[in-house]
Amino acid sequence: MDTQSPSIDLTFPSELGYEKIARETVAAFARRFGFDRERIEDLKTALSEVCINAIEHGNACLPGLRILVHCECIADRLTIEVHDRGVRQYLGHGPSAQIEQKIIGSAPLRGMGLMLIAQLVDEVGFSSSPEGGNVCRFALDRQHLHSNGTRE
Amino acid sequence: MTSSPNDHDQIPPERVIELRLPSRLGYEKIAMDAATSLARRMGFHEDRVNALRTALAEAVTNAIEHGNAHDAAMRVLVMLTVRPDELIVSVADQGRNLLDPDKTTAVPSIEESFTKVDKGGWGIWLIRELVDEVEFSTGPGGGNQIRMVIHLEK
Repeated sequence: MDTQSPSIDLTFPSELGYEKIARETVAAFARRFGFDRERIEDLKTALSEVCINAIEHGNACLPGLRILVHCECIADRLTIEVHDRGVRQYLGHGPSAQIEQKIIGSAPLRGMGLMLIAQLVDEVGFSSSPEGGNVCRFALDRQHLHSNGTRE
Repeated sequence: MTSSPNDHDQIPPERVIELRLPSRLGYEKIAMDAATSLARRMGFHEDRVNALRTALAEAVTNAIEHGNAHDAAMRVLVMLTVRPDELIVSVADQGRNLLDPDKTTAVPSIEESFTKVDKGGWGIWLIRELVDEVEFSTGPGGGNQIRMVIHLEK
């Protein structure tokens, strides 16, 4: 198990499907630091959602624009940043629509991604890079802190 | 961070994935898993995927151990280039030690290995056995670069 904090960087074209390569790469990184299978599945699901958002929205599916995934692990916390070029800006941090609203049709069916990501990871936030791109930064602790304050 | 999403602004004629790793043994496994995922997506047979994994492990290990002399601050760049009929895998180090060109073509002897204390020297030979094309050059940063190609048989 790696106990220091080196990082890896992965870049790939903005095409759907490449997020699967990112999933496997980052999962291999997490395994090095002793994250268990369940946390790695959380990580893969969250990373897929973030990468798909970056591909579809941030880079508008333009394959010539790159997505950058930066990963590092310090102590028990794995931190991932996903950078896009900001063709479309991430619009806000307001409350997500509730599942009930989606079921009755008062909110769009899509847009579950951020809700899902927030459930799977221990911290998530969005910012803009100096170049104007979107940056999604999320972190997973080795043991997940549930919303009721308990850890796995 | 050593790279940015601005690195490639133009639509590429081929799809490229870049992975930058610290020069620490064990990180070759991350490159192996990335390449495996891509090769399976491209439709390579499992035996070819396994050959690629082994060749890439040897190339990245060489870059970590020899090219970058285990300096974790030095990076190993792995580039996976997708073409319709082949996958190109390049591994570049930062060249603390430059590879002796004679070693890129040497064929090791099993008999000599029995008598030598150092049993190494089989990596490049093994890579040549496992992939369809191999080429050594100087990388963009002045270090060693190996370019390996495996052809997609349909």
